Amino acid sequence: MISKGATRNSNSRRIKFARRFVSALLHMRNQNPRPGSLSIEGSVRTRSQRIKIAAYLSMAQAVGSRRAWSRAVLSKLGSRARRHMRRMGRSSLGSLKKKRVIRSYSPGELGQAKKLRQLVPGGETMDICSLLEETAHYITCLATQVKVMQTLADNFSK
Amino acid sequence: MQPCSREMQGINALLNPPQISLQDLHDQQQQQQSQIQSSNIHRQVQNSHFDPTSHDDFLEQMFSTIPPPSCSWSDLNPAKTPAAWDLNPRDLSDDTAPLNPDNNNNVAFQFDDSANLASKLRNHQISGSAKSAAAAAAMMLQQQLLMSRGVAGAGDSGLIPMPLSLGSADDNVDGSSSFKSPNLGAHDDSVQALFNGFAGSMHGPSQTPNQTQHFHHSQGGPVQGQNYGSPGAAMNQAPASGSAGSAPAQPRQRVRARRGQATDPHSIAERLRRERIAERMKALQELVPNANKTDKASMLDEIIDYVKFLQLQVKVLSMSRLGGAAAVAPLVADMSPEGGGDCIQAGGGNGGAQRNQTASSNDTLMVTEHQVAKLMEEDMGSAMQYLQGKGLCLMPISLATVISTATCHSRNPTNRSVLQPNGGEGPSSPSMSVLTVQSATLGNGTVDASVKDSNSVSKT
Repeated sequence: MISKGATRNSNSRRIKFARRFVSALLHMRNQNPRPGSLSIEGSVRTRSQRIKIAAYLSMAQAVGSRRAWSRAVLSKLGSRARRHMRRMGRSSLGSLKKKRVIRSYSPGELGQAKKLRQLVPGGETMDICSLLEETAHYITCLATQVKVMQTLADNFSK
Repeated sequence: MQPCSREMQGINALLNPPQISLQDLHDQQQQQQSQIQSSNIHRQVQNSHFDPTSHDDFLEQMFSTIPPPSCSWSDLNPAKTPAAWDLNPRDLSDDTAPLNPDNNNNVAFQFDDSANLASKLRNHQISGSAKSAAAAAAMMLQQQLLMSRGVAGAGDSGLIPMPLSLGSADDNVDGSSSFKSPNLGAHDDSVQALFNGFAGSMHGPSQTPNQTQHFHHSQGGPVQGQNYGSPGAAMNQAPASGSAGSAPAQPRQRVRARRGQATDPHSIAERLRRERIAERMKALQELVPNANKTDKASMLDEIIDYVKFLQLQVKVLSMSRLGGAAAVAPLVADMSPEGGGDCIQAGGGNGGAQRNQTASSNDTLMVTEHQVAKLMEEDMGSAMQYLQGKGLCLMPISLATVISTATCHSRNPTNRSVLQPNGGEGPSSPSMSVLTVQSATLGNGTVDASVKDSNSVSKT
């Protein structure tokens, strides 16, 4: 039946996301016993920002390289990118996006396509068609991630 | 988030790689087949006992001639089903009485053994006394139908020779992006039509001409169904459309131009592109709540807002609880829940911690307020983000007064506020407070959540 397969898939996805997120959190916590090292590294992110990054990273890792947005997130937030950023500042990231976007000729879209491209990671170099597809998958993954985080927060922070 | 879950369930069924679901279905099918076989034998034994008439032998004959179920997908090719159905057209003229097995025939036409069983049932002019056996067979076939529904729902389109009229069938298989796509819709429509034929035997064949016309329209071909009830028509169209449906599925580039439209390759490509965009938009519409907009521009606006909202939720969640007290501390310094009775309240765990702090200076709050008012004139979303960045949220004044009177007795709610018009705005998505956001996701009462948070944070 449709519902049986669907819940199984959504549950498995949730479990995957949860596992990766928790492992990312643990990794972060293990990285953090010396608060003095933060200033040495040069990345002055607050803990919440790092948690947010961990959330996106774990989400993208769970999806893997199947989707364009997850590839974009991984390349942006990967460990190499982080080291690169720390050394050379944020300006280097802007130069990575060299490919011009194909402005598809559907005049009824106004500026919404541009906004959507900015929101969805990796959406700068896609046409409308695949942008919509990536958006849909991104929305489902984000919703799952939010649910996972909510449940974790509910159950473990009492 | 509850409204999303249903759609997500349906969506996630198609999002995962088909191999996994295929394996599941493979196992499922094996189980089902073994079950059906055992039930066959069981029923055969049963029937042979309490049915001493001449129908007895035909039942045994029927059940014995069912080939052993071969659980491989290669058997379910379209080539076989027309062969199974070739027996039937000559019997169509006299299928007035046994409507149940006929409809079950339609329903399970892709399985070899059930097709044979169905053909045997029809060939032998089942009358009243054999209706018990027919009912037993009906249940069996219904099982298979349910399985086929599961298969249709969760499997590829290419595996099931259902009549698909979409040129983009392969596209959906590759991208696996057909969330609630016409692909699935076609499955549902055709299976639904067959279901209606099955259930419609009670209601008469009045509904069925609709489905036959649906098939006509969806096929685009002049398949002239005979007029004797839905089963016959649907059945006749099924093999014809099964063979015709595979043809447009394979060569994707050859799109059949409908009557009255240009066959210019540019316009065809344009039409394909528009169709693809339309179906993606439809899929997104199912995902995003509040998606009753028919306009494409407003739908895109909704989508953008929803993505922003989800990202904001991730940020808030990472801030409020998982961030713990350390994240809350820098936000606490210039916040105060007790300064001013505006509708700016602090949400979530931040609010709890801040309530325990003594009131900070009022002028910072006023600055914040003016800033927010200024931002709101330009763009609601940025105003909300500014608030969220400070750990605040917006809520109607009525709710704010209720919460404040419930928690802090020393409040002095003054209702003058720049933000008062928002009190009556209602739950438009950007002006939803964090508390109500959490309640929407939790399904609990808002006040409980906030009170719980304040207690927990005060203890830590």
